[in-house]
Amino acid sequence: MNDEIEEAVEEIISIVNVEREKIEDDLKRFIDYGVPLSQAKDAILHKYGKLSRERKIKDIKANERGINTVGKIIFIDEKEVEVRGEKRKIFHGLIGDETAIIPFTAWKDFNIKVGDVLRIKNASSSEWEGNPRLSFSEWTEITKLDYDIELIKRAPKKYNLIDLKSGLSNVEVRGKIVEIEEREVNIADEVRKIFSGIIEDETARIRFTSWKDFSLEENKVYRIKGAYIRNWRGAPQLIFDENSDVEKLDEEIFRERRVIPIYKVVEAGGGIDLLIEGTILELRKDSGIIFRCPKCNRRTREGVCEEDGNVDAIPDLRIRALVDDGTGAVDVIFNREVSEKILNRKMDEYLSIAKEAMDYDIVTEDIEDKLIAHPVRVYGDSIQSDFIITIFAKDAEIIGIDAEKEANELLASMGD
Amino acid sequence: MIKMREPAWRIFAAEYNDSMHVAESKVEKSPKYVITPLGAKVNRLYIVGVLTDLEEMGGEGIRRKARISDPTGSHIVYAETFKPEVAGILADIQIPSYVAIVGKARIYEPEEGVLYVSVRAEIAKEVNEEIRKYWILEACKNMALRIDAIKEGMNMKNPSVANLVEIGYPTIIAEGVVEAIKLYKEIDIEHYEILLKEALSFITSKKIDIKKNLEGEEKILKIIGEMQGNEGVDWEKVVEEAIKTGIEKDSVEEIIYSLMEKGLIYEPQLGKIKLV
Repeated sequence: MNDEIEEAVEEIISIVNVEREKIEDDLKRFIDYGVPLSQAKDAILHKYGKLSRERKIKDIKANERGINTVGKIIFIDEKEVEVRGEKRKIFHGLIGDETAIIPFTAWKDFNIKVGDVLRIKNASSSEWEGNPRLSFSEWTEITKLDYDIELIKRAPKKYNLIDLKSGLSNVEVRGKIVEIEEREVNIADEVRKIFSGIIEDETARIRFTSWKDFSLEENKVYRIKGAYIRNWRGAPQLIFDENSDVEKLDEEIFRERRVIPIYKVVEAGGGIDLLIEGTILELRKDSGIIFRCPKCNRRTREGVCEEDGNVDAIPDLRIRALVDDGTGAVDVIFNREVSEKILNRKMDEYLSIAKEAMDYDIVTEDIEDKLIAHPVRVYGDSIQSDFIITIFAKDAEIIGIDAEKEANELLASMGD
Repeated sequence: MIKMREPAWRIFAAEYNDSMHVAESKVEKSPKYVITPLGAKVNRLYIVGVLTDLEEMGGEGIRRKARISDPTGSHIVYAETFKPEVAGILADIQIPSYVAIVGKARIYEPEEGVLYVSVRAEIAKEVNEEIRKYWILEACKNMALRIDAIKEGMNMKNPSVANLVEIGYPTIIAEGVVEAIKLYKEIDIEHYEILLKEALSFITSKKIDIKKNLEGEEKILKIIGEMQGNEGVDWEKVVEEAIKTGIEKDSVEEIIYSLMEKGLIYEPQLGKIKLV
């Protein structure tokens, strides 16, 4: 019996922030009155509920309520979402202490900034990709503290740049700075200097932003520990700051551009400097000859630009096509130059064909005939898009593949 | 949020048509998948083969049923009323011709444990021989990858998607393979390996002797080639000639059917045979 009471006391202490003696007294009194132990336990928890203990971030699990904790804001960004047909501004980011770093969402503006140490009362948590995510609502109390706290120094996980996807944190990468540029940004009424550019390793190229001046130089190789990834304009971006370690390496990196299976591009959420191969399976609407406003380059409809009104529209050739390699699918936009190359036909030829037929659909039919079911190699960057990853082709070619040779190789590799 | 578009599986008819299981997700409105014995998790397909037959279907509107032959068998492809242009394109293509089809898995389960799979066409196009060969190659590569993944998975104590991804398989392959191992009690991998080699030898000049029939196939193809006129040659005459070259009567019929399945010969009219 005593053991059971002892256990109950331990359990209560682990949940609420009250002295042991008090808990023991309370519990004894309930039991003297014949209250069953489990009910007594609940009653005490209820009594001290408002004093609920502050937890370390690693102890927060998914789908909990009434969470109290102290944490430091590592990163915050705002975005617009639609809730029941209404546009709302929400904030999301990463919060951490010496035990863990997890993502959070704030459903109203708490005026939180990067680097703030916050006491958080009555937050809740949800699940995001199998991990807990903190959620600050109308009922959450947040106070800024005037001291700093240490952040967890768990060993970062090593990644090749090709495997980075939006949402990862505490990553370690090694890469060469291809381009770097300094600029100033306004974040919550504060001007900050940031350094952004492109970094590459043997597997891929990716955009980066550094929130601290690490004196990075172009063409030099660095190891970066404690970075995180978020999506920016339709491609993953590597971010690092004062919590990251950056070390210059005496190494060289030579990247050979390799064909990436499309599922990798889809999993990463896009990318830059991509080389893919796949078959064109579908042409999207408005592929072919289109007309653009000479002033703003917007597409015109029947000679009318929505910005500049009646204009002398100029023709352009562009193709938007679904490219699929059996592992995944992306949309690819081919501009006039690249379209002319893969079609082996100039826009002017198409224009005269269309004029003669008095029908622009004839151009689209020819493009369909030339491209559908044909394998194509595409090089380019992904761009922001909503429904499917879209790659803007900087270059492309129809692939002539020696199926017989490859089949022989595959047969040979299978043995008997 | 970007929703992944289902990739279009390049899959041979023999494997697809052998499917006995369908995977349904608990999430509402999410697609159904056909899980093939080698773990392809198919919602959308891309197939290229020989159009060998086109049939008008009853009911309202234009509905057509096509057979598309590849080196292993025939895909059944439906062009439904909601895609009249596809039915139209198919009707305009001569039989036999090479065609490419993009479509969705069509699943028919008349009763528990009975499953018929086919393809509902979204896009159809006549293509050339080069594209056909390239498709066979792609289908072979995909099949070879899944055979490897199935073998790896079967060697694991607890085959899991994470473990297969860890050793380098694409997520989509790992998912299908793990489901196939769970759903199919016995997977006759050897059968599919033979099928794969046969399909490969289809596009290599170096024909390898996989089955005794291969030699017979060549003889019979030669006979048909020599004897066929514009309308083909009588079935009985082919059998007669083939027996003279030393092939058993039973085997002759078997070989002729097999050549038809592979899309090398067809029947322009009942009882006549012609090279494709």
